[in-house]
Amino acid sequence: MSASILVPGSRKGADSMQAAAVKGRSLWDDARRRLLRNKMAVTGMVVLAILVVLAVVGPYLAPYAYDAVNKNDVWMGPGQNGHLLGTDSLGRDQLARLLMGLRVSLAIGLVATVVSLIIGVAWGAVAGFVGGRVDEAMMRFVDVLYSLPFIFFVILLMVTFGSNIILIFVAIGAVEWLTMSRIVRGQTLTLKHKEFVEAARAMGLGRGAIIARHIVPNLLGPVVVYVTLTIPAVILAESFLSFLGLGVQPPMASLGTLIANGAQDMELAPWLLVFPSLVMVVTLMSFNFIGDGLRDAIDPKDR
Amino acid sequence: MLLRTLLILALAAFVCACQGKVSRPACPEGKVCVHLGNVNDPVSLDPHKSTGTWEHRLLLDNLIGLTQDDAEGKPIPGVAERWETSPDGLTWTWYLREAYWSDGVPVTADDFVFSFRRILLPDTASPYASLLYFLKGAQAVSEGKAPKESLGVRALGPRVLEVKLEHPAPYFPELAKHQTMYPVPKHMVEKHGEAWAAPERYVSNGPFRVVSWKLGDHVKLVKNPRFWDAAKVCVDEVYYYPTNDTISAERQVKRGELDLNADIQSNRISFLRQDMPGYVQTHTYLGVAYLAFNNTVPAFRDRRVRQALSMAIDRDFIANKLLRGGQKPAFTFVPPGVAGYSGAKAPEWASWPFEKRQAEARRLLAQAGYGPDKPLKIEIKHRNSADPMLVMPAIQADWKQIGVDARLLQNEGQIAYAAYRARDFQVADAAWVADYNDAMSFLYLMQSATGEQNYGDYKNPRYDELLKQADNEPDAATRARYLAEAERIVLEDAAVAPTYFYVNKNLVSPKISGWKANLVDYHPTRYLCLKGHPKAALAAAG
Amino acid sequence: MFRFIGRRLLVAIPTLFLVITAAFFMMRAAPGGPFDMDRKLSPEILKNVEAKYGLDKPLAVQYVDYLADVVRGDLGPSLKYRDKSVLQILKENYKPSLIIGLSAITIAALMGVGLGVLAALRQNRSVDYGVMTVAILGVCIPTFVTAPLLVLGIASKLGWLPTAGWNDGALPNLVLPVIVLALPQIAIISRLTRAGMIEVLHSNYIRTARAKGLPESRIVGKHALRAALLPLVSYLGPACAGLITGSLVVERIFNLPGLGKFFVTSALQRDYTVVMGMVIFYAGLILFLNLVADLLYAALDPRVRLA
Repeated sequence: MSASILVPGSRKGADSMQAAAVKGRSLWDDARRRLLRNKMAVTGMVVLAILVVLAVVGPYLAPYAYDAVNKNDVWMGPGQNGHLLGTDSLGRDQLARLLMGLRVSLAIGLVATVVSLIIGVAWGAVAGFVGGRVDEAMMRFVDVLYSLPFIFFVILLMVTFGSNIILIFVAIGAVEWLTMSRIVRGQTLTLKHKEFVEAARAMGLGRGAIIARHIVPNLLGPVVVYVTLTIPAVILAESFLSFLGLGVQPPMASLGTLIANGAQDMELAPWLLVFPSLVMVVTLMSFNFIGDGLRDAIDPKDR
Repeated sequence: MLLRTLLILALAAFVCACQGKVSRPACPEGKVCVHLGNVNDPVSLDPHKSTGTWEHRLLLDNLIGLTQDDAEGKPIPGVAERWETSPDGLTWTWYLREAYWSDGVPVTADDFVFSFRRILLPDTASPYASLLYFLKGAQAVSEGKAPKESLGVRALGPRVLEVKLEHPAPYFPELAKHQTMYPVPKHMVEKHGEAWAAPERYVSNGPFRVVSWKLGDHVKLVKNPRFWDAAKVCVDEVYYYPTNDTISAERQVKRGELDLNADIQSNRISFLRQDMPGYVQTHTYLGVAYLAFNNTVPAFRDRRVRQALSMAIDRDFIANKLLRGGQKPAFTFVPPGVAGYSGAKAPEWASWPFEKRQAEARRLLAQAGYGPDKPLKIEIKHRNSADPMLVMPAIQADWKQIGVDARLLQNEGQIAYAAYRARDFQVADAAWVADYNDAMSFLYLMQSATGEQNYGDYKNPRYDELLKQADNEPDAATRARYLAEAERIVLEDAAVAPTYFYVNKNLVSPKISGWKANLVDYHPTRYLCLKGHPKAALAAAG
Repeated sequence: MFRFIGRRLLVAIPTLFLVITAAFFMMRAAPGGPFDMDRKLSPEILKNVEAKYGLDKPLAVQYVDYLADVVRGDLGPSLKYRDKSVLQILKENYKPSLIIGLSAITIAALMGVGLGVLAALRQNRSVDYGVMTVAILGVCIPTFVTAPLLVLGIASKLGWLPTAGWNDGALPNLVLPVIVLALPQIAIISRLTRAGMIEVLHSNYIRTARAKGLPESRIVGKHALRAALLPLVSYLGPACAGLITGSLVVERIFNLPGLGKFFVTSALQRDYTVVMGMVIFYAGLILFLNLVADLLYAALDPRVRLA
């Protein structure tokens, strides 16, 4: 469903980013240098670092708790009564809620991506390395899953088990692994015939060991690129669920729930929409810049 | 080049699209058409299969029962011109007027007998049949234990209907205008079965008739010339829209795409009063939001705990600062303005300043054995609809102030209610909108015989006794006294903690005339017209 | 080619079977049922209703019955809209969804490709940065924010377009929903096109074409664009999934009588049959579009041969 929102889950799109990552260590130094020369990517990294720090320590430093109801401070505009970003209908401090929301959204993005990463890399590497009928069967399975209306299944999952945060991780992660497995498989296919793999095989290393020690580490490049693009997709997917009332449940906040609530009250209290939207856009943009920068750095052909 | 062409194309499409006209279906020359936002799609056009208020709003333009709503929601004669009650209150005789179905067939007492039997029959599977259990033998028919002929309803002539009851029911005229008691056209139902309610063959006896229904889009009604008061009806065509998104509907009303919408989001009301002066209409409603304490949980068997929790809720903040839609703080259970009922006295603490209430609540909790060393820990299960989502965190914060540690658990409305019925909760956020305008339709909720729907399993023999006496009392004033005494007991016991009384909220274009805010929130389209239209005064007079 | 289509259709059947099975049991595992309401149904009445729809039978029997019905092309009656069958609901409501969706993807493709090509030709210049910034913004702002913002500005304040409603598919009523739905897709497609274009423009055969002195417009318009469009075609499937996600939001905000609006409410209300019907409909649609995408891909790329 949603990796595709940001990254086309195209079978062929994956190929372009693979070519470079395999030519040995010096290439990584080149890539790093290219990445650091890319102003957009560097800006993205700096901004993201700040956001992560804010998300981790922010909620502890904020003068109010994210769920503290302040009856006398209802609907305060930004700056009033010590509420830097204003308050909502319950007088809850918007800054505190925003920091908490950022933390939750980043956590969802990260955990769901890790889930997709584990499944996707395992599935793709095995399929690519074993090859033959196994490969065909495994990839056919991925094709089948691709053709499911996944948003429906995520909604059904939420309805069935109630929307709790762990489930959101798992549900979204379980959807996102498909593209990952395709990228990894394609990459593995090219790696399989490289000399060092042949050498390892000649030395009598088992399949499992080869996959774990030689294939997976060399998949790093394209996978990292894809990860930086999956995280924002996941964050966006969660915000959709929130809009439909199936996301994170209050009083807990995520960027998605904050924006969805803010959109309702945008004429009354524009600050409730503006600030979370800004944070969301900045977060997603920095991930995208980093992702683009990484791709360009690893695969210099594009530039 | 390519880009330029595209830009021009897009611009052209945009300009020709933007004629600035208000977008609604064309209204025939010289006719009056109204477009009404109705919140939801009807689940059915058959009154025996629908349950919601939005269906009722739509159906009451089509079908008229023994009585009907006036513009203020009070019962006035409908198909029945007049009625008589036996001294014991158990036999009602209804004399029907000369009326016709929209296909020209006369409306007879037989239609009513047929309809009352039909809604009760197990085959109809009507979700709302239990509302008719006050009719003699109704429950047995509905359970399939007795033949339909055993129901105490019969035609004494083509236009005389006799109805026998299980117990006196002074609210019968109120209930007789409810959709469950509408007549359905016997001749059509016998011919087409369930499919009689299809829009293309719909037959009505009221001022309008459904002609088409596009799910998710609109239901269209046209005037029924065979309605007995057709000459007084001003509107020719009515469109009902399922306006699920209240805020979108609000903008449609502002733009003139809709003439009214039957809901407003509470916390936008004060904004809308400024933004769209003259549109917002609110009125006390027949509904109450309350917390039920589960008596099977040991902590809540202690009356002091229930009282303390109820006292510590800042109802003024909830109603006036949080919801801000005209909701009233509730210290009693039955809303003000209920027919023939002056209400019970609120508990003494209701008039205390909030700080004093908090202090008393802490004292009661301490007496019950809770304090800083041993805080009371509870769970509030609540619905995830808009208002509870605002109110519950506020109550949680109120309780925190008296040292109670409350956790919130959200569920979708129907799931929450299923849990309440199964007693799977500690504190439940419930609400009740009465089916008919009578105190009994609120107070029966705490009766022990009510079973599942008495969520907290409240049991008080004195309370039960009073309600039973009220049920068997033919005299209205005495009955009201029994009910008020019962309500007083339930409040003193803090069996439930009422929080606020509902308010009905409509956004009505000032162009519309004849629309009156009222307690039951039904506004038959037959009374509506456009301001300044020659028929406006006639229609409003009904 | 026909063998290819045949094989894909053969795969489609077990896929649909899987979808139906998963959705069926997930829906049934959800707490509550279609007849749970805020009011109590008396037990007799509940029994009546459940018996009427066969919900009193064991789950396995219901499942087999349902499969048999589906094979016969019968999706059952809606449990909530008691006068309507699921097929009727699908028939009455697929049009707005389809019209909005197809218009959105067409506009997105045209605009996206146009902007992408433009950006690629002016690589690393201000036009490029401008287009790419807009593209990233387009992806990052959720539909449920753009929709009310546009309604508020263009419809409410300026009064140029209707704020909501379908009005029998009148053009003015379509404009805003289509724009809102198309925006994120324009963003993605322009990025894809740009990347593809840049890669192709640096390739050997384009250099050869240039060396041969072919006019630039011909190089870009004919050779480069064709190759650059390839990744776009394989994006078609995911794009449709994205559109479906978007339509859930757009149909609600614009109050359109489409299918998306029904899905969430039906799932929440446990209208089992309607949910199942929609899942089958959309799964079928996605399967079909994936097939179309593969065929198109083969038509555009001579290297791919369908076997």
